[in-house]
Amino acid sequence: MKEPTEPQADPHSPPAVPRMRGLVRNLLLLIIPVAIVWYLVTPLYNRLLLGGAQTLLHWTESPDVTNLLPRDGQSAFVQRRDFPPSKSLVHGFQLTDVHFHLILVATLFLAIPGIPWRRRLENLAWAIGITVFFDVLLVFFIVKSTYATGLGAWSAGHYGAFAQNAYGLTKHLMDLPFKLGLPFLLWAAFYLGDLRGDRVEPVIATSRPAPLPRGRKKAR
Amino acid sequence: MTTQASDPTSGISGIGRFFRTNRREILFLVLFALILGASFALISVNWVNDHVIEPFTGGIASASTGALNLLGQKVHQQGTLIQGPRFAVNIKNGCNGVEAMLIFLAAVLAFPAPWKSQLAGLALGIVAIQAINLIRVVALYLTGVYFPKVFNASHTVIWQTVVILASVLLWIYWANRLPRPMPPSETAA
Repeated sequence: MKEPTEPQADPHSPPAVPRMRGLVRNLLLLIIPVAIVWYLVTPLYNRLLLGGAQTLLHWTESPDVTNLLPRDGQSAFVQRRDFPPSKSLVHGFQLTDVHFHLILVATLFLAIPGIPWRRRLENLAWAIGITVFFDVLLVFFIVKSTYATGLGAWSAGHYGAFAQNAYGLTKHLMDLPFKLGLPFLLWAAFYLGDLRGDRVEPVIATSRPAPLPRGRKKAR
Repeated sequence: MTTQASDPTSGISGIGRFFRTNRREILFLVLFALILGASFALISVNWVNDHVIEPFTGGIASASTGALNLLGQKVHQQGTLIQGPRFAVNIKNGCNGVEAMLIFLAAVLAFPAPWKSQLAGLALGIVAIQAINLIRVVALYLTGVYFPKVFNASHTVIWQTVVILASVLLWIYWANRLPRPMPPSETAA
């Protein structure tokens, strides 16, 4: 007779990926409500993002000359106070393009089937926290990259070749691959173990007796 | 999960134990990030951009132009530009589906699977992503012609979300279809 053992994950286990149908159904059900929430929260989030990035910029410049100004609820301007007023708005960028990936993060985290809602929401809170941090950093690097590479002679005069390449490449990598890949990266970080069947809940045997046939008394 | 008595990691610190128990997940994530970063750094090189990405984007523009002409739009192509009588779209980096392809590629290559399955997954996934991207370009052109007010939101939010979500779903589908090797106890019997 075999000794009862804890359930073990197969070390060579291939993915036990959730049922596609449940996931696709949940994604289709959730993506529109999530997008509506994202749209409603966007003005507040834009302010948070610009405030966070501006604070970060002020920590790295002396004197503080950068203002990040919201425009039309979707975009923002980078303003340098040390430039002449007619040229102080040095760059405009779309803020919704920076943080639309929040829709993907929220939808993917909420749509995964077979996970208790409490755990989904806890994980989503962590993922959103990480995404907010990423977005603040992305805005910071958008501004720094503009300063280093986008202002012609002024950029060449104030930034060396290494700084220009470093800021440009960092902004490029954050703005395309990692901004777009972040939802999947976070989702995999939280759920790959579940998907692969590594996190196996132990099955606890109950001592409940089997139901007796109708009309018979329970034997003592 | 292993029992404490036989757990070789029981004596090490919490962080060490975390890394041991989540080794495969961490390896996947690190590999994914490295492949993704390296592949994007590669396509940022001017030579690669000029000799690989630009012609590839031109091919997408050709296919989109063909599809739009089939739909009755009288458009013509100039490089990566699709020009019509009422609207024009220029397919730039970020709109050519290469990002979604590279995210999919990084996820497939980082996942432990037989190389034949990886190759098959990559081939089918890339074709599927480009098909979705073709629909995106055509839909964006039509949006620009008939609903210009929503073009911006459609371009930056809706279609980017759809394409990335599609590549994630394709990866999950691929991973779900991988053959499962028998557990050691069953293979021994």
